[in-house]
Amino acid sequence: MNFSAPFLGLCWKTRLQVVLKIIKHYQEEGQGNEVVQGVLLGLVVDDRLEITNCFPFPQHTEDDADFDEVQYQMEMMRSLRHVNIDHLHVGWYQSTYYGSFVTRALLDSQFSYQHAIEESVVLIYDPIKTAQGSLSLKAYRLTPKLMEVCKEKDFSPEALKKANIAYENMFEEVPIVIKNSYLINVMLWELEKKSAVADRHELLSLASSNHLGKSLQLLMDRVDEMSQDIVKYNTYLRNVSKQQQQKHQYQQRRQQENIQRQSRGEPPLPEEDINKLFKPPQPPPRMESLLIAGQINTYCQNIKEFNAQNLGKLFMAQALQDYNN
Amino acid sequence: MSRFFTTGSDSESESSASGDETAPKAAGGPYSKPLLLSEDEEDTKRVVRSARDKRYEELTNLIRSIRNAMKIRDVSRCLEEFELLGRAWAKAKGVVDREGVPRFYLRILADLEDYLNELWEDKEGKKKMNKNNAKALSSLRQKLRKYNRDYEGQIAAYRQNPEQSDEDEEKSRRDSEGSGSSSGAEDDAGNFLKRRERDEPRSRYKESESEPESESDEDWGDSASESDSESDEDDGKFTSLASKFLKKDEERRGAERRREEKAKKKLERKSRREEEEEEEEGGEWEKVKGGVPLIKEKPKMFAKGTEITVGLVMKKLNEILQARGKKGTDRAAQIELLQHLVAVAHEHQLGVPLELKIKFNIVASLYDYNPNLAAYMKAELWQRCLGCIEELLELLFAHPEIFVGENVLEESENLSNPEQPFRVRGCVLTLVERMDEEFTKIMQNTDPHSQEYVEHLKDEARVCGIIGRLQRYLQAKGSPEELCRVYLLRVLHTYYKFDYAAARRRQVRPRPQEKEDEEKEKQEEEEEEEDSEALMERLCRFVYAKDRTDRIRTCAILCHIYHHALHSRWYRARDLMLMSHLQDNIQHADPPVQILYNRTMVQLGICAFRQGLIKDAHNALLDIQSSGRAKELLGQGLLLRSLQERNAEQEKVEKRRQVPFHMHVNLELLECVYLVAAMLLEIPYMAAHEFDARRRMISKQFHHQLRVGERQPLLGPPESMREHVVAASKAMKTGDWRRCHRFVVNEKMNGKVWDLFPEADQVRAMLVRKIQEESLRTYLFTYSSVYDSISMETLAAMFELDLPTVHGIISKMIINEELMASLDQPTATVMMHRTEPTATQNLALQLAEKLGNLVENNERVLDQRQGAYGGYFRDQKDGGYRKGDGYLRRGGFRQERGNY
Repeated sequence: MNFSAPFLGLCWKTRLQVVLKIIKHYQEEGQGNEVVQGVLLGLVVDDRLEITNCFPFPQHTEDDADFDEVQYQMEMMRSLRHVNIDHLHVGWYQSTYYGSFVTRALLDSQFSYQHAIEESVVLIYDPIKTAQGSLSLKAYRLTPKLMEVCKEKDFSPEALKKANIAYENMFEEVPIVIKNSYLINVMLWELEKKSAVADRHELLSLASSNHLGKSLQLLMDRVDEMSQDIVKYNTYLRNVSKQQQQKHQYQQRRQQENIQRQSRGEPPLPEEDINKLFKPPQPPPRMESLLIAGQINTYCQNIKEFNAQNLGKLFMAQALQDYNN
Repeated sequence: MSRFFTTGSDSESESSASGDETAPKAAGGPYSKPLLLSEDEEDTKRVVRSARDKRYEELTNLIRSIRNAMKIRDVSRCLEEFELLGRAWAKAKGVVDREGVPRFYLRILADLEDYLNELWEDKEGKKKMNKNNAKALSSLRQKLRKYNRDYEGQIAAYRQNPEQSDEDEEKSRRDSEGSGSSSGAEDDAGNFLKRRERDEPRSRYKESESEPESESDEDWGDSASESDSESDEDDGKFTSLASKFLKKDEERRGAERRREEKAKKKLERKSRREEEEEEEEGGEWEKVKGGVPLIKEKPKMFAKGTEITVGLVMKKLNEILQARGKKGTDRAAQIELLQHLVAVAHEHQLGVPLELKIKFNIVASLYDYNPNLAAYMKAELWQRCLGCIEELLELLFAHPEIFVGENVLEESENLSNPEQPFRVRGCVLTLVERMDEEFTKIMQNTDPHSQEYVEHLKDEARVCGIIGRLQRYLQAKGSPEELCRVYLLRVLHTYYKFDYAAARRRQVRPRPQEKEDEEKEKQEEEEEEEDSEALMERLCRFVYAKDRTDRIRTCAILCHIYHHALHSRWYRARDLMLMSHLQDNIQHADPPVQILYNRTMVQLGICAFRQGLIKDAHNALLDIQSSGRAKELLGQGLLLRSLQERNAEQEKVEKRRQVPFHMHVNLELLECVYLVAAMLLEIPYMAAHEFDARRRMISKQFHHQLRVGERQPLLGPPESMREHVVAASKAMKTGDWRRCHRFVVNEKMNGKVWDLFPEADQVRAMLVRKIQEESLRTYLFTYSSVYDSISMETLAAMFELDLPTVHGIISKMIINEELMASLDQPTATVMMHRTEPTATQNLALQLAEKLGNLVENNERVLDQRQGAYGGYFRDQKDGGYRKGDGYLRRGGFRQERGNY
């Protein structure tokens, strides 16, 4: 009954109970593109992290601004310990809307988790995909490279370049294994036998335009943002090169002057701090565009996946129709 | 103006003196005598007195001292005494409340007022007056005026017949007294004298005015004639010839003196008789009263015996006119005076010009009656005003030789000299214009849903009649400018009326009954047998040609357009509007003209709608409707706004601009027409551009209504006009023209909107057809992607249109590239070509475009790295890449889809 996945090459194990709890949480509180979050509890067994329980963060409202989240978590964990449940903090979970989760907020909180508890993980639950018939639950961790960058808090282009960070290697996905106790497995088998033909038509639904449209819309928004980001970066680069030219000109002039002075026997002009004269323009932080790129990647993956499935379905339907005719 | 103190004749002042003497005594009644004898004694003696007596005594005392002061022209003392009087009066209030205001008090108030007015008018005397007195005079005058206001009615009544009041007074005194004491008799004598004196001129005038043989008036006959036969004779002589007044003045004075003596003798007899006749007398005096008010005024105008000449009347007129506009002038009285002056002038046959002149002034002072512009005339005054103007016009028509003009100088007026042409200063046109304004004001201030409004509206015919007559008059002699003005008046009274008679005449087969009506109407307005269309045409053309002030022409054009539009002559109306270029510069016009412009535009829009020109209708109405302030823009009511935005002054101005109710454009009709027009335009457009990101709205307001409809949590059957239109729009969106039609044309909507049109059935037929056509278009836009081909016959059956129409609509759509299809002639079907991308495809296209941008931006970054070489590279790419590739990609895509 454990969720397992590789931890530093190991495996995470999760219990079904946790999954159901997360789904329930979303269905009760999440609406549309609102996001629900919660805490995962578990323990490290050998080379695996086992997530054995979870509890949700209460929904925030503007009314209780003085609500202390940390206090609440501590209280909760203490209470859980009293009933003898694993109370080790091993990460958190979050729901997502059409796969849009690669954000700065997620990065920051995951970084702080991972910084404090090394084995922390974030579970992303996609309710829409789940509603379409296949459970979508993914576990992510920040790569060690990104951890380092985040620790430095330097998101300038050079730093990122040096760290050799790209959108592909920001997050690493860890495999999840849902494991139940044998008793539960037995019960599930029994239930399956008893229940009539599963009335789950969602999986076979041929309507695709809605989901695809939404995804495309989101993807377009990101592309727009990306475009803007690039324009910004472009301006920066142009500014830098312009300044470089100016600097160069200045130095040349100074050199010529010095040469003239030397010929006249005068002492050369003192070398001034060139950086003081030409302040380099502030480089735009590149983290955002990295994240956007990551997000775009996720969208693309989603769309690809979805389309592959749908095309399959469409071909199947066509074949069926031909057969019937 | 004063009865007692007119400066004109000696006899008058004499009599007034005597009157004054007697007055306090009369008022004082029985107590005045002992009071005169010894005051202290009286105080001790009469311990037991009724409150009434005590108070009255106090008052009479004061009154007497006032009269004394008046006699010696000591105004400051008058003032003091008057103040005391006021206090005493306040004390006596209890008594007064019980018994009513005593006559003597009213008399002193009236007398004092007259006296002060006289002093006030007497500029010479005022100059001579010492400073103290002058100051007291002005303050007393003010105080008195304020004071008298409370007793206005009673004083007026008193002035109407002071005799009677005196008599009453006396009677009551006598009653309380029992039989006449010596003092009472004396008083009576005085009173009697006075009365006689007043009666005298009265009867004289009366006789001269009407029946000379009625010389033996009843009052005379019974009470005085026996004893005073001589005066009777005199009266008889004086009767009709005013000229005699002057000659006989001496004589008369003598007679008066004689009469006084006689009166004394007569007293004994009288007092005896009085007791007997008391009952009868009451009756007698009643009779006198009937004649009084009419004649009573005259002595005010002219002294007795003056020969009434043109000059004199003019002088009087000027005198009256001078008081005009002053603060203390009683405007009602002024009108009365003028009216009597006319009567006098008429009676003495001083010539039409003079009468004209005075009548001009009467109308002017009728207009002056209201102190401020906002107030409107009372109905009674209004009727008088109308009557007066009608008379005036009659006179003018009767005497075309008289020259009337506002540019005639006061000096060059010729009122009496028959050798030269008569010239009278005054402008009928201005008067009539003002009358029209007053009429508008009255209509504005009457509750439009009351019977009263209908009553007032009936006067419109009279107003129109007056304007028509004036027009005829001016056509004969007026200048083009004046003609323009009167034509405009006429136009303003014509343009908003639907000419039912003309419309009926135009009908092919008029029913016999209607024909009769028509004939009757024709008879009624013989002079206006021409259609209002022709009339408008004629008048407006004249104005266009002759007018030199821009405003009149603008108004005339707008009215003309309005009239055309009202009678569904759309093209003429539109052409006129376009040719006049009013749309360009109307914002520089004054608000009333702008309101007229708005009204015209609205009417134009409604006209276009009736003609089935939906787009024109929508364009014409857009400006008015989109602001959401149609009510205000059309001058049909004020919007409720916070006071900060508009202060009281502004509100007044805006109120004055309101259009009278009977000229209103129905706002609901207007909105309905607009919304239906917007629906017919917008729904197909929305269907055609469903996925177009750059889609714009044709009508914001319509969208607003749609949104409001969508927000409704529960959709019941439509109630209001707007709900109907929204429901109809929804039906049309799905191409269901029958439901749409049901929503637009049904019982409710008929009652609310469609029946208001003169040709309602025609409009409804037009609407059905438009709805069918637009529904067909919408249907094709919305569902063309579902079809591979549609039979036009099916479509025709679906929308109940005939085949050629369907064919026409579809062909038009194909030509405009709204519908990607082709017509298959032999089978009469429409073959659809799949070229329009679906929603997802649209999104994909947009994404591709965005990605193109992204790539381009990215390349620029790359260029930075690579320097000049990259720049060259990019330039090349930039040129070819976007256009070529984008185009190719799309083209390729289409082909692919087409094959699929």
